[in-house]
Amino acid sequence: MNKKYDAIIIGAGVIGCPISYELAKNGYKTLTVDKLADAGMGSTAASCAIVRAHYSTVDGVAMAYEGFKYWLDWENYLGNVKDEKGLARFMNTGSILLKSQGHDWRKVKSNYDVVGVDYEEWSVERIKEAVPVYDLHEFWPVRRPEDPKFFDPPTRMLEGAIFCPEGGYMSDPALSAHNIMRAAEAHGSEFLFNVEVVAVRDDGNRVTGITLKDGTQFDAPVVVNVAGPHSYKINQMAKGVWDGCNIKTKALRHEVMHVPSPEGYNYLEDGYHTSDGDVGCYYRPEVGNMFLIGSEDPKCDPQEWVDPDEFYAGKGGQGRDNQLTEAQYKAQSYRCARRVPDMQIPNQPRGVVDLYDCSDDWIPIYDKTDLPGFYLAIGSSGNQYKNAPVAGVLMAELIDKCEKGLDHDKEPLQFKLRHIGRTIDAGFFSRKREINYNSSFSVNG
Amino acid sequence: MFDAALFYLRPHVIITDPMNIYVCVKHVPDSAATIRIVEPNQIDENITFLLNPYDENAVEAAVQLKADSDDTDVIAVTVGKPAAIDTLKSALAMGADRGIHVVTGYWPDSIVTARALQAAIIKDGLPDLILTGKAAIDSDGYQTQFRLAAALDIPVATHVGSIARNDNSVTVTCGLEAGGEQVIRMRMPCVIGTAKTLNTPRYPTLPDIIKARKKEIREVSIDHLAIEPPDSRMEIIALKSAVQKRRKQMIAGSIEESVTELIRRLKGEARIPLS
Amino acid sequence: MEKIAILIETRQGEIKPSLYGVITAAQDAEHELLALAFGADTARFADQLKPYGIHHLVTITAPSARSFSNPDNRARAIIRAMDHFDIRTLFALTSLAGKDLLPRIAARLDAPLVMDCLAVNLVDSTVEKPQFSEKTIATIRVTGHHRIFGIRPNMIEPKTMPVETETVVFNYQGTADDRLEVVETRQGKSGAIDLSEAEIIISGGRGMKNGENFQILQECAQVMGAAVGASRVAVDNGWVPHSMQVGQTGTTVCPKLYIACGISGSIQHFAGMKTAGTIVCINTDPDAAMMQQCDYGIAGDLFKIIPALTRQLKAHR
Repeated sequence: MNKKYDAIIIGAGVIGCPISYELAKNGYKTLTVDKLADAGMGSTAASCAIVRAHYSTVDGVAMAYEGFKYWLDWENYLGNVKDEKGLARFMNTGSILLKSQGHDWRKVKSNYDVVGVDYEEWSVERIKEAVPVYDLHEFWPVRRPEDPKFFDPPTRMLEGAIFCPEGGYMSDPALSAHNIMRAAEAHGSEFLFNVEVVAVRDDGNRVTGITLKDGTQFDAPVVVNVAGPHSYKINQMAKGVWDGCNIKTKALRHEVMHVPSPEGYNYLEDGYHTSDGDVGCYYRPEVGNMFLIGSEDPKCDPQEWVDPDEFYAGKGGQGRDNQLTEAQYKAQSYRCARRVPDMQIPNQPRGVVDLYDCSDDWIPIYDKTDLPGFYLAIGSSGNQYKNAPVAGVLMAELIDKCEKGLDHDKEPLQFKLRHIGRTIDAGFFSRKREINYNSSFSVNG
Repeated sequence: MFDAALFYLRPHVIITDPMNIYVCVKHVPDSAATIRIVEPNQIDENITFLLNPYDENAVEAAVQLKADSDDTDVIAVTVGKPAAIDTLKSALAMGADRGIHVVTGYWPDSIVTARALQAAIIKDGLPDLILTGKAAIDSDGYQTQFRLAAALDIPVATHVGSIARNDNSVTVTCGLEAGGEQVIRMRMPCVIGTAKTLNTPRYPTLPDIIKARKKEIREVSIDHLAIEPPDSRMEIIALKSAVQKRRKQMIAGSIEESVTELIRRLKGEARIPLS
Repeated sequence: MEKIAILIETRQGEIKPSLYGVITAAQDAEHELLALAFGADTARFADQLKPYGIHHLVTITAPSARSFSNPDNRARAIIRAMDHFDIRTLFALTSLAGKDLLPRIAARLDAPLVMDCLAVNLVDSTVEKPQFSEKTIATIRVTGHHRIFGIRPNMIEPKTMPVETETVVFNYQGTADDRLEVVETRQGKSGAIDLSEAEIIISGGRGMKNGENFQILQECAQVMGAAVGASRVAVDNGWVPHSMQVGQTGTTVCPKLYIACGISGSIQHFAGMKTAGTIVCINTDPDAAMMQQCDYGIAGDLFKIIPALTRQLKAHR
């Protein structure tokens, strides 16, 4: 006899764990399975774990702002659970969104007003006061250093910034997923690691369970795909699911650099998370007084779509997939250095390479599927870490309502954000949507 | 063959004005890069290459010496494939004044490299000091500085942890085992192989990198240097991956139990003579 | 019979234990083995060298004992001796001293030289040596009138091959070159075992938390006859001197046993110790990279495990 659960969650990352947690709180007996050895070890571990509210859509802003309330009240969210590894910490640096041609900041600002996000408008002088190491010239358009124009001296100044005091980042993304796992376990959730799903079973009508590589089967009327960069592979295992998605996901290789702060400047203590569309980068402090520099996916940068199994097979040094490329290291660090001219750029690249589970329009899919009982929380596109706790609540509610008869495709779930009191249309995240051209088509979401 | 009498024949080089410091740098794969063998004796070079980390100390030392004296020219020299120009650019960004690239179509051994460096340097000017890292992290040969010194017939010291410049000599300390040191005085011109302990190499900033873009890099083909082909050679005829099979056994239990078990296995299956 | 010489290296007046493996690398029934040693007092080494197949012990003397403190002079003395005895192949340790002396000799002879050899094939004139931070092993063919090999310490297990050893004195009359002058020599710590040649190394990393805590490694090392090493993090934090650093930018080591305490295991650290015979990893994090590449792992608190190890080893003696 196969072991039976109320719900099986595939993927113990920072989105899978909260789904298990919220389902368990609702009385579901859940099993979460993961290919790796512990919670948050996959692409979650490489997340920049930035907590910011600026998104290009009102619902995007609302959901992110709701997320703040969880990170700011982490221990309570976890039900004061103990984790032997310690608790992840929210580093409340505040978040600067530079007003530039690289961001539709006017839309962000009006979205902030609609949602009620706490923010300040900063002049260039005010930014300079906060971060004296920034050069606030305009460097637009974003180029690569291979382009000689990259080095052209700037002529104009930026306008200013929108500053969101509640923003920041989580100290350790893998640990945050681990914390949520412990909280879920306190409600009876089970976790199984080092196992690989090879089949999603169904009885012709609905999903019935999963099969692991070693042949073990688990049964459940609900299976949730939260497999991150492997999401498209799991979708292909579930009957009719792949074809039923208008929006697809695939794995995008992404590099993040760690570059030393200017000498004499304590970025770790005094710095701010900054979104800088003018140079196509975001950056935040990192241990070792480093700038952690991510790319906002400007058009001039090549995109490299990879097979996640091949990519992760290289983890630990066999594949070149897990090494920073020199060209991208230079592109991201030089761009950031236009803003921070005294930044020190070592010859040896340092940083992290991992995968985004990227959807066609860079907006996630939180949805049911054409296979009853099979659900999706995929396509996080590098921009959903901050939404993880909210996604957990949303998915738990969506699953529960659908299992009780809601036709989410016809009458999308109206999801109430309990902290900020707004209701958003969960149909926004539908797999059946047309590509959302309001999206930034980047990590910005 | 060495002959002591010949050693004195070369006239003493008068310190020229300005002082010329040549820094020999090598373009090597990043230590973090995965090395993939593509031919029996070649690696896939589609990986990050950078300025040999030990040579960073040499560049830093040269730039510091330049800061101490008004009229010093720091010239970075490399021998290698066209891509090695990037390593010269790194040296220029760190503060070298100009670069010389001896362009080759292959990665020569240190015998040829030293000859090429010697030819390029004497063609360029009169060296007062030649600095280079004590080794390169790709070939780990530890010898180019010695061959270059022999080719130029000038003294050499390696594993140098400090450099003090006098009028026409330098005093250096060379690391010996167990933390010992030897203080050596060399008449200039001379060659110095720098150790990691010598200094902390600076990281260039973007303005440094931009400034370096305007600095001169002279390219010369190795074929135009008229190097006498050596009788001696060191050629890589095969490469294989170094994989060590490990037991990967976890020892569990209480502290005392696991330590007892560790000692048992070390003395037993691992045959370690624990006294 | 081809004559092959092995350069004797001493520590505190005695032959370094790691040297016997170097002799073994040169051993071959077809060859005549000569050992070259500096100073008249080295004649007493004959009895120690006999079991390993050394036919002639050449003690190199000079009018002034001081003259061999000059590295150039040492190199010239060896070259003269090689010339005199018609030696065209030279073996020595890839020690710190070897990394100075061997390339000096090779450069003057314009001879091929390979350092850090793991194995030598004299018939084919090929050697194996690690390259690219120990990620590959290269087979290198050397061509030349002379050939010089630096052997990685502890890499080759010594084998006996007893012969009669005859002692010969070679008097070097060369004069020092005044362009390179040794001003002063400060010996290292007498009790300290050099990392690159230690048979057992116990190393500490980030998990050591500070410099004082290295004392518990020192205590354990004393019981085991080990040297104490460190990761780059410990050096960068100023906890221990750079001379203790194992890794890419520190010392490359090849001990029989390497105990990594609180070292996560960066690629650069592995580059410095991956040829160790047996690796033990002690780390609170069972997922540390070092755990994946060790022989024995204990996931736990090094501050409890190391003192227990010291205690138990003491009790065993």
